[in-house]
Amino acid sequence: MALITVRFYSLWRSYLGTDSTTLQADHISGALTQLEEKFGHRLREKLETAGIHLDGKIQDYSFILLNGIALRNLKSTDLKGGDVLHIFPPAIGG
Amino acid sequence: MSSPIYSVTLNYIIISVTVVKVFLVESNTANKDIRRYIAESAESHLASDGKTYFLISLRTTSSISNSQKISAKEVEITALKQGIVPRRYLRNMGTIGLVGQIKLLQATVAVVGAGGLGGTIIELLARQGVGHLIIIDDDRFTEQNLNRQIMSSEENLGEYKVTVAAKRVGEINSATTVTTFRERLTRENAQRLLGGAQVAADGLDNLPSRLEVEQACCQLSIPYIYAAIAGFGGQLMTIFPEDVGLSSLYGPPSNTMPEQGIEAEIGNPPATVAMIAALQVQEVVKIITGVGTPVRNQILLVDAREYAIDRIQLGR
Repeated sequence: MALITVRFYSLWRSYLGTDSTTLQADHISGALTQLEEKFGHRLREKLETAGIHLDGKIQDYSFILLNGIALRNLKSTDLKGGDVLHIFPPAIGG
Repeated sequence: MSSPIYSVTLNYIIISVTVVKVFLVESNTANKDIRRYIAESAESHLASDGKTYFLISLRTTSSISNSQKISAKEVEITALKQGIVPRRYLRNMGTIGLVGQIKLLQATVAVVGAGGLGGTIIELLARQGVGHLIIIDDDRFTEQNLNRQIMSSEENLGEYKVTVAAKRVGEINSATTVTTFRERLTRENAQRLLGGAQVAADGLDNLPSRLEVEQACCQLSIPYIYAAIAGFGGQLMTIFPEDVGLSSLYGPPSNTMPEQGIEAEIGNPPATVAMIAALQVQEVVKIITGVGTPVRNQILLVDAREYAIDRIQLGR
């Protein structure tokens, strides 16, 4: 199992109460499942307290980059030791 | 004996050359006069940094512009080239200097969207002394714009944003000329609207338009300063044609891309707009003057809620 770091930014950092965590997984899907189990409930609770109603999982309304590359651009979703996942909410307003 | 046609052509050439020579002599004389007027009007000023500057006032700029029938921008550039600073730019000198100010006055910057981010960008670029602004927006001001769109007021609700923005620029800086397009930027018109700009700044509020601007800027080989906000936070990335760009966040264009982000829920407060627009203006200034380093191939994330600033290196 690869030991990876997950970094949270912007509002997610505030709502999750931490800027990073580590976890062990061999594949992105496994890492996201662990994140959902560990933080999903807390994030949805914080969002609802703030009057924000978003259904779904963290990944449904986040930018997720693996070592700076968007998941949709990845050639392989396998993880290796030292990988970093960056997770932050999308901002589109102006 | 030469033919009449050759004779007429030769006479035409001789007359043309003479006209050009006379024009150049008059033009040089006029330029000398302008330079002399500027030099005679300059006043020395000991600035707080201990340096002595020679300055001309706004009134002098206006007076020379009117008497010599040249634009205020030309007066200011001519002055700066002589080492004389228009007083209005004195507090710009420490960061960008004379050469930087000349580059800004000679520059054209496109601002796509004249609402929240765009309105503040326009205001700051005019104050900074950018010579020409292209302002693109098809919308009118409404009440929900009042919280953050600096150009909006209770009096101008219902007016077109580009009209108000152009008027505002004229009030701030008579050296800044404005071209307005009361159109929505699309794939079809993007290159026409952005043509002539050295840089395009993002004042948009939706992803599809941003992707169009990014593509047009890439085709025009100019940098695009992307930014977006939501709640207390915002993000910014300067994208040169060869850079990774928005696909590094969103992946390749698809039908599943979001039109709105979390701002739909947490809103767009005024201070966040001003904060991120100010950073965009700094990017414009850096690109045009060559001072500093733009945020390229990175996403800058700013969160005023906890005062966190992060940069993530992006890859393909």
